[in-house]
Order: sequence, then C-alpha cells, then structure tokens
Amino acid sequence: MPADSGLVAIIGLLLLATVFGFVWKATTGRSKRIRGGVQIDLKEIGATKNGLPVTAFGEHTTFLQFSSEMCPVCKQTAKIFEELEKTSHGVLHIEVDLTHRLDLAEKFGILQTPTTLVLDSNGIVKSRIGGAPKTSTIEEEIGHFVI
Amino acid sequence: MSKKEIDPRGPRFGAAITAVLLLIVVYLSLSPSTFSVAISLLGIIVALFAIGAFLGNSKHPYGYLFKRLVRPLLQAPKELEDSRPPQFAQLVGLLVAGTGLVLGGFDIQLGLTIAAAAAFFAAFLNAVFNYCLGCQIWLVLARAGVIKA
Repeated sequence: MPADSGLVAIIGLLLLATVFGFVWKATTGRSKRIRGGVQIDLKEIGATKNGLPVTAFGEHTTFLQFSSEMCPVCKQTAKIFEELEKTSHGVLHIEVDLTHRLDLAEKFGILQTPTTLVLDSNGIVKSRIGGAPKTSTIEEEIGHFVI
Repeated sequence: MSKKEIDPRGPRFGAAITAVLLLIVVYLSLSPSTFSVAISLLGIIVALFAIGAFLGNSKHPYGYLFKRLVRPLLQAPKELEDSRPPQFAQLVGLLVAGTGLVLGGFDIQLGLTIAAAAAFFAAFLNAVFNYCLGCQIWLVLARAGVIKA
C-alpha cells in the first residue's frame, strides 16, 4: 500500500473512533422506558444499605444501581444518587455489586456497569439507565430538577 | 490484583501515549517496507502493556512520567480511584496487542493491523472520552466465563 493511502487509513480510523466517542457520550446514561416491568424482590437481590438489609422501597422512586469492582464510574454514580437521596423526598438508592452475583447479571440481562433500574413505589421496574446517568435523565425520573 | 488508590488522570495520560503509538503501528503495518518496524514497535507496546497488567500503573514508565512531569503541573485530583480497573484495561490491551504481535510474527499483515487498530480504538476512547473498558466489558467476559470474579 502506498504511503498516502496509509495516511488515509489512519485518518479514517481516527475519525471513526472520534464519531464513536461522541455517539457514546451522547447516548450513555439515558433512560429507556420499560413496559410491563418486573417486580424486584429485595431479598433475592440481597439489597443492603449501610450493612443492613433493605426491606422497603422508596416512597416515590428507588434507584437500583448495579455495579462491579472494575468500575470507577459506579462510585461516582453512587455518590450522585446518595446526594439525591438526601435532598429529594421519597428517593431511595440501593447499590448491588454484581462481581459475585453474576446470576443477577444474567437475570436482568446486564452487560455494562453501572446499569440502574428505576423502580416505582411498589418496586416495579419503570425504566433502565445504562452507564453513568446524565443529570437530565435523573431529573426526568424524579420529576423535578436536581439542585 | 491488589487494591490501591491512584490519580485517575495517570492512566488516561498513559492511554494517550499508547493511542498515538498504536496509530503509528497501524500506519507502518500498511506498507511492506515498514512492516518489520511495525512489529518491533508493537513488541515494545506489548511489553509495556505487560508491565501495566502485572505490575500496575505505578511501576509503568508512563505512570512514572506522569508522576514526575505531568502531575506537578496539575492541581490535586478531586478524588482518587481504584487501581484495578485500569490494570484490567492493560490486561485486555496486552491480549489484543499480543495477538496482533503473534499474527505479525507469522507474517499475517492484516491480523496485526486489525489488532493494533482495535487496541488503538480502546486507548483513544479511554484517553479522550474517559471510556472505561472495565465498566463496559468486564461483566460481559465474566458472564461468558472467560474471567473469574
């Protein structure tokens, strides 16, 4: 291959990666509505908070965040939800580490972390957020602005 | 892999250098006259991935460069991050680039080019967009039984 077509090839590769990056940035962290979502069983998922088992859903919304050990973004996401829980009434955040619970990853078809399931007051899955949630996505879910 | 807390900008700085080098490998691999140079350069990259994967970012030359040259110019990091995810990314890089190196050794030009391009893709996305390989593929590989938790 002559040198100039090699140059075309690497510029093309660079463009491709750049476009992919922008598309990924734009689409990650958005929520997808789930019709006829399942009921979450808090016992089955082993939901704990501060070392204690979680026995009730948030009065308004529960953010069930699935994380893994290989995921720095999960920690940042958890921080945002923890903050939200403090400032918004009726919001509960539960984080479940899938590292040793691959059965749950299978059951809910989770491929990336963080993946967050948004539950209503009865624990029914209403929507699903793949990747670090955008602020606008969280605002849509709780129905008001995040301070 | 032992858990350590590191400046998250360190691995991204390293990924930027890796991305540039891999792009050069892709370019050199496309011409028969420079194919052997591409193999040598990819060999160096594979060795560096091995250091990152087995010894961690702190023992990596880029980690050292970051600490000595870049870090003093920056403000303190807002928060530290777990060292294991970037180490996992280095392991994936080692496997992909290593495969390319082996294929290149058997004179399979296209194999080397594709592997180097794939590794470039991940390194570039990590450096520029903070794309995290651990978040995206660890679970997929664990579910497929390729890696163990």
